Amino acid sequence: MEELLSEVVPQQDLEKFEKKYHQELDQQSVSHRTQFEYAWCLVRSSYAPDIQKGILLLEDLMTRDADGKRDYIYYLAIGNARIKQYSLAMKFCKAFLQIEPNNQQVISLEQYVKDKLEKESLKGIAVAGGAALALGGLIGLGIALAKNRKTANKD
Amino acid sequence: MSSGPYNYNYIFKYIIIGDMGVGKSCLLHQFTEKKFMANCPHTIGVEFGTRIIEVADKKIKLQIWDTAGQERFRAVTRSYYRGAAGALMVYDITRRSTYNHLSSWLTDTRNLTNPNTVIFLIGNKSDLESTREVTYEEAKQFADENGLMFAEASAMNGQNVEEAFLETARKIYQNIQEGRLDLNASESGVQHRPSQPGRTSLTSDTPNNKDQCSC
Ligand SMILES: Nc1nc2c(ncn2[C@@H]2O[C@H](COP(=O)(O)OP(=O)(O)O)[C@@H](O)[C@H]2O)c(=O)[nH]1
Ligand SMILES: [Mg+2]
Repeated sequence: MEELLSEVVPQQDLEKFEKKYHQELDQQSVSHRTQFEYAWCLVRSSYAPDIQKGILLLEDLMTRDADGKRDYIYYLAIGNARIKQYSLAMKFCKAFLQIEPNNQQVISLEQYVKDKLEKESLKGIAVAGGAALALGGLIGLGIALAKNRKTANKD
Repeated sequence: MSSGPYNYNYIFKYIIIGDMGVGKSCLLHQFTEKKFMANCPHTIGVEFGTRIIEVADKKIKLQIWDTAGQERFRAVTRSYYRGAAGALMVYDITRRSTYNHLSSWLTDTRNLTNPNTVIFLIGNKSDLESTREVTYEEAKQFADENGLMFAEASAMNGQNVEEAFLETARKIYQNIQEGRLDLNASESGVQHRPSQPGRTSLTSDTPNNKDQCSC
């Protein structure tokens, strides 16, 4: 899964499909195929804004082409996983598996995203726990200081 | 990329190509998991699989890209051909049309890979003898004429599946030994990973286990 999510589109391919998309855009007749090809290349870019753009193009396709929905949902999940938007990626995996519960490609992706989400939430707990400890430490320190002052005052 | 120790010496990149429904994804799963997926849904775009094998006492990690055969994916899947060390080109022995399309798959492969890319032709579904439409002999002749390795296989019962993947690797390894592949060129599809466990202490920040997980 790691390999699938870190593999990068060759620059010349990205440019080729970008050109095709813009040519059709100029004539105001972008085909589903062209938009999908360009979006698929964009979500495999190493540059996050490209991936975001790919996601927008896929979301647009979702509203226009019911036949390709399966492909679009899958690449929306991939795109979001690549920019570490794991909750969104999870949402698309779940939507896909509702239609096709036995799809191995999506099951593996969902498992990967689930692991990432769990790690993130553990980290979240660790951070929150750390903050509580630090806060506790500060209060403790304050008490200690106050005590010290008292003893100092006494002396 | 770090130069830390690996549990393999080489990485070979493979692609699996051919018409939709010939059994590409099933071959991949049979090879990586030794299981047959009876109700395999159509691949979306590309699938990825990996397995570490051994050739001449060297550990080789195969990185396998299984492409979707549908026409609407074809233009973009071509970008996965680049830098493939091995190509498994698959047809279905029970559907002549998938055999007739081989020349177009072969043209793509020749145009997009390097001259040393090893191409292995697989006639899949050899378990379905009663509905066979392509004879062994004519496919063998096609393979010989085009300099391809060839076997009939079955992703269902596993026949010749290991052999196809392993023989391709042996041939690639032989090309390396004979100096035909430039390991420094990314399009060779081969990466060398010298395993030098002694260096571990020097690169203590290397995430060693990253490459050991079976993703
Ligand atoms: N009998 C038989 N069926 C197979 C074999 N390999 C694949 N199939 C079936 O052929 C269909 C297409 O397989 P799949 O791997 O999805 O083809 P792909 O489109 O080339 O990836 C599935 O229904 C498989 O169950 C085989 O070796 N023997
Ligand atoms: Mg497939």
